Amino acid sequence: MEQALIKPSFTPEVVAQIGNFPITNSFLVTLVISAVIIIGALLLKRGIKNGKPSGFQNIIEMVFEGLLDLVDGVTGNREQTRRFFPLVATIFIFVILINWVEVVPGLGTVGVEEIHHGEKVLLPFIRSAAADLNVTLVIALVAVVASQFMGITALGFKKYAGKFLVSPFKKPYFVGTFVGILEIISEFAKIISFSFRLFGNIFAGEVLLTVMLMLVPLFIPLPFLFLEIFVGFIQALVFAMLTLVFMKMATEAH
Amino acid sequence: MELLGNLGINTKLFIAQLINFAILFFVLKKFAYQPILKVLDERKNKIDKGLKDAEKAGKKLEKITEKEEKVLDKANKKATEILLEAENKIEENRAKAVTETEEEISELMKKAEQKIAEKKEQMLAELKKDVAGLVVMATEKVLDEKVDGEKDRELIQKVTSKL
Repeated sequence: MEQALIKPSFTPEVVAQIGNFPITNSFLVTLVISAVIIIGALLLKRGIKNGKPSGFQNIIEMVFEGLLDLVDGVTGNREQTRRFFPLVATIFIFVILINWVEVVPGLGTVGVEEIHHGEKVLLPFIRSAAADLNVTLVIALVAVVASQFMGITALGFKKYAGKFLVSPFKKPYFVGTFVGILEIISEFAKIISFSFRLFGNIFAGEVLLTVMLMLVPLFIPLPFLFLEIFVGFIQALVFAMLTLVFMKMATEAH
Repeated sequence: MELLGNLGINTKLFIAQLINFAILFFVLKKFAYQPILKVLDERKNKIDKGLKDAEKAGKKLEKITEKEEKVLDKANKKATEILLEAENKIEENRAKAVTETEEEISELMKKAEQKIAEKKEQMLAELKKDVAGLVVMATEKVLDEKVDGEKDRELIQKVTSKL
């Protein structure tokens, strides 16, 4: 039997099709991760209702307290922390989990074989969801839109719009207008940098791990696995922190 | 659009992911963040309250100790005062008793002296009487023997001249 070619693909592979809807491997992973998170949340809620904190609840509390302190450090005000915290924490938890899917055994290697352009190609079942631009773009979009929303609710629509649309007939004249346009561009740039940073890091990690596994299947990939765990954590933290900082910046008047 | 497609972006998948993330966000918010924040808040309040209570208790203890000391001090002072007073009173009483006794003694002495003086006078008077009697008796005896001659005459003369 001829060995199927393992070719890391830039785009997530379609492993099934329901009607018109393509099910990609990264979408499958997203669903599984989401289910895990939701079940965890429900268990947590039940545990809290029971009163006595269990080990699971303690760990979650520790993580949340750390995150809260982090958010507090940026906002410097508890009320704002409460507003920002849900989104920042959700992004952190979701991103870190989809990043860590990378190190699940079978990533990129277990799947269905398919003839593609005359070559036998493996379509893996598991692909880190962060190595799918759809996912990273969604999170980036949510983060940026949320920061606009926070800015509008904190400053009022007129004042917030005044950050971007500056009349060329007032004090800094055309400089102000130009800066306003730059601000608008930077908001779009944020979406792109958010989504491509995460995608690039995780996709690169996936390729690296797959290649390492192909070259030397034993022991050698281990350090890279640890490296990818670290990268996954860092990327999640960066994503969450940047979201937080952008939200904070949006709520500050000039 | 082709560029987006080449990057693997698919509208349907994109929307599905968006919905997925939204669900995740709301579920986490409802079942994880709110309850956990509540628990953390409650715990913080509890700890704050405990600390405050402990501080209050410490302060109260200090106050009570101070008060105790004050009360003890006061009691001590009062006790000394009472003792001193008692001593004073005893001393006074003693002095009074002594003076009273002395007075009594001196009075008694005076009375005794008076009595002695009275007795002496009485005795002297009696003695005078006795001595007069004796003198008369002695005179009679002397007269008895030497009543003659001139003396007799003289005496008779004296007596008769007076008559």
